[in-house]
Amino acid sequence: MMDRLSVHLQSLFKHLIVFACVIALWEGAAAVGLVDVILLPPPHAIAGSIWDLYVENRTIYRHFTITFYEAFAGFLIGGAFGLALAVGSSLNDSFRRYVSPYAIVLNVTPGLALTPIVIAWFGFGYSSKIALGAIVCFFPIFVNTLIALSRTDGDTLEMFQSMGASKGQVFWKLRVPAALPMIFAGFKIAITTALVGAVVAEFSQATAGIGVLMQRLSFALDMSGAIAALLSMSLLGLILFTIIEIIDDRVVFWRRGSRMEAVSRRRLARWKTSAGSSSGKPIGRK
Amino acid sequence: MNEIADLTIPAPKRSALNIIARHLAIFLALISAWEISCRLEWLDPLFFPYPSSILEGFWRLYITQGNIWSHLGLTMFAVIVGFTAGSVLGVGLAICVGMSDRLRRYLKPYVIVLEATPRIAIGPVIIAAFGFGWTSKTAIVMLVCFFAPFVNTLNGMISVDRDKVEMFRSMGASRIQTFSKLLLPSALPEISAGLRLAMASALGGALVAEFIASNAGLGVLITQYTGTLNMASAFVCVLTLSALGYFIFRGMEAVDRFIIFWADRDRIEAVGRKRLAAWHSRLGDRP
Repeated sequence: MMDRLSVHLQSLFKHLIVFACVIALWEGAAAVGLVDVILLPPPHAIAGSIWDLYVENRTIYRHFTITFYEAFAGFLIGGAFGLALAVGSSLNDSFRRYVSPYAIVLNVTPGLALTPIVIAWFGFGYSSKIALGAIVCFFPIFVNTLIALSRTDGDTLEMFQSMGASKGQVFWKLRVPAALPMIFAGFKIAITTALVGAVVAEFSQATAGIGVLMQRLSFALDMSGAIAALLSMSLLGLILFTIIEIIDDRVVFWRRGSRMEAVSRRRLARWKTSAGSSSGKPIGRK
Repeated sequence: MNEIADLTIPAPKRSALNIIARHLAIFLALISAWEISCRLEWLDPLFFPYPSSILEGFWRLYITQGNIWSHLGLTMFAVIVGFTAGSVLGVGLAICVGMSDRLRRYLKPYVIVLEATPRIAIGPVIIAAFGFGWTSKTAIVMLVCFFAPFVNTLNGMISVDRDKVEMFRSMGASRIQTFSKLLLPSALPEISAGLRLAMASALGGALVAEFIASNAGLGVLITQYTGTLNMASAFVCVLTLSALGYFIFRGMEAVDRFIIFWADRDRIEAVGRKRLAAWHSRLGDRP
């Protein structure tokens, strides 16, 4: 136990040393004049801007929440469309045949090309950013869900059918659980693309949001501020990604051993109480 | 009722034609529904142009005015140069990093942070650094095209079967042999997937760069047309981009099939036969 901890600490220590060396090198190059300080500000200036944005000015929080909200709403809307169309296509072959050409066209069009048109349709406010996020993140969800739902293990399907499972049972008990990991992989791709969509729409036309903040700072040649905003954007991406990952971990509980045990223990307990209350007769489900 | 027949009969010629005809019919129905709802002013034709006027726009932009060509050329130039530079850099750097265990360990956290950053978002910073011309556009495309090949190549090289590496080592293969005969071939499918991702985002990157600040290119054209509410022409540009995207996608697929021949049964047989023949002829013409 102690050994493993010390190994971890040691590797962390090495990483820190490397990081410090890189920073020192950068700082030195800026001080000597090898790097143009206006274009690539030294690390201490970036740290100063971060302090400024987060602690002294506190301007960033408003922009941060607005972009977060736009990206997440776009993800929800695009995801709802993508899921609905994919489920429909997986259930009905002719529906799939008629939907798929349009989905392909939407895929090969760079969604970001629609930015000016979407802004003309939805105006300069939040709605255009949400719409662009939804358009951009529709396809990864659609295609992952469709592939995952139509790729079912033949043997298991045969077993379900030989035991007389209904169509609904096959769908809910076999197809959906088998597809969930891949669907979540699609969600993870989509949430970052939704963020990109929202930010790009903000670059084009907006009054608030982290994209606008960054554009203003960089056009004022306050590069350290722009890089601080960029780093906050990475943070935003990480937060969104982590949200999906946590949900993934809760829903696809059978992937991790410890989660699997916890859930099965809980289910067993519930099963025991319900079996006890209904005079010891076991219930088939769950 | 024909539906079921379509599904069960393994595609005779008539039903393939039938399917195409039905697709066309649905497409035409959608288009005419759009046209009619525009004519009846259910949809505002100012924002949702008539399909017929989009068609007219194609004629105008490509032939009578012919002003789309130069913009198209500029955008494609940025895309191709940026993609080539970015993907070569990405794959090359990943190979260098992948060959050394220690370097990989130290670079990993930085790669994670870079991956979480929306790459296109670096746009304004790069434009401030490189100016408004095609250099900044190309630089953005390059940056966008760098990461997917880099990460995929690295992943492909890391996930090589340990047993095979062991075998190569026990048989005394040199570093170069291990790389060219084992690491590279097994990483190729992932590398090409990365290249495809990069290609898909390259077009987007160039457009965003043009939206932010530029004076020529398809992105500028789209912004100008929507700014003057000439939506039909803007749609022409977007549809052009769709077609471009489609051809790029198909082209990448064909290249993929050519290089990674072992993923495709017909191709693997053909290549195998060719290699066998070459081998026989080298051994001295025994059949």
